[in-house]
Amino acid sequence: MATDRESLKESFAEYARTRDVALRDELVSAHMGLAAYLARRFANRGQPLEDLTQVAALGLLKAVERFDPTLNIEFSTYATTTIVGELKRYLRDKGWAVRAPRRMQELYLNLSRVVDPLGQELGRSPTIAELAAEVQASEEEVLEALEAGQAYRFASLDAPRSEGESDSVGETLGQEDAELARAEQRAILAPMLEQLPPRQRQIVHMRFFEGLTQSEIARRLGVSQMQVSRLLTRSVAQMRAVGRPPVEDV
Amino acid sequence: MSDSDEVRLVVPARPEFLRLARVTAAGLAGRLGFSYDEIEDLRLAIDELCFGLTGPTGRHGTVELAYHIQPGVLEVVGEGRFLEDIIPIGLTDLSRVILSALVDEHDLTSGPEGPRFRLVKRRHSDAAASGD
Repeated sequence: MATDRESLKESFAEYARTRDVALRDELVSAHMGLAAYLARRFANRGQPLEDLTQVAALGLLKAVERFDPTLNIEFSTYATTTIVGELKRYLRDKGWAVRAPRRMQELYLNLSRVVDPLGQELGRSPTIAELAAEVQASEEEVLEALEAGQAYRFASLDAPRSEGESDSVGETLGQEDAELARAEQRAILAPMLEQLPPRQRQIVHMRFFEGLTQSEIARRLGVSQMQVSRLLTRSVAQMRAVGRPPVEDV
Repeated sequence: MSDSDEVRLVVPARPEFLRLARVTAAGLAGRLGFSYDEIEDLRLAIDELCFGLTGPTGRHGTVELAYHIQPGVLEVVGEGRFLEDIIPIGLTDLSRVILSALVDEHDLTSGPEGPRFRLVKRRHSDAAASGD
């Protein structure tokens, strides 16, 4: 396939007429350099370059299929817009699930330092308004930061279990309580519970079977409430994965 | 419930959008003076029920959420509007146990128009309501 401007125009005109798949693939191949270049421009944003290149290639394919050669516009200009749009959409969807803005991460860490002392001072779990006053942020910012922490938790589900967590939690929770075995419901959930490390199993039991609040569990075990929250969320996801039926959709 | 304010939210039935359901619930609960403990419970419960609707990877269609607000009480109703036929949806044993501990009332059913969940969370903490 000729690659000069006129020949390229002819090739696109021919593809528009014939929708020949082989010709389409040739046009895609001829522009893969552009896709790879744009993918590299979006590197270092937390996603592997390989994935970005695939997304860019998909954008390129769409551009080839949709390009109208009768318009007075270069294909490279049209394709760049399409590919960049595809990359941005991909990063937005991915990033939303796994990355939180740094400011929110910092606020979340700040909140994790004040939740327990404030709860002890008040003698109850603090409200969002009280937390906001304590960290000198708006209530909306506090809620957003707590959600950002949630996103972080989900992101960390697949991470190695030792992701910077204090070993002292495990040491604290290492003992199995013999009474745990007596819960009737636990028998139903036994296969799922058995998949959890002892500390998570104990926290799950205290929250869902004994009905203790997160802050009560934290006090009883001498850990922070946010650690309890994080472990509970992780545990539920792990139990879901174990209990998931083999076929979800029909 | 009656005489309640209502907030409605429609999101694509995919996991990455369900954070909006959680954030909205947390925001409204914050306004009602729920404690941090209670809001964390609510967040987990919304997650569990939305997961029940959409499954782990999401579905084609939307989840329509209606938040009904009364002093000290938040009711959330979620309805799946899916473009695909799905098997009848119900609560798993795990979900039942979890939700019983987290919220005051909960349900997940398959209706003729699609699957639907409902939860009610009441404020039990001593803290005064801040916004209702």
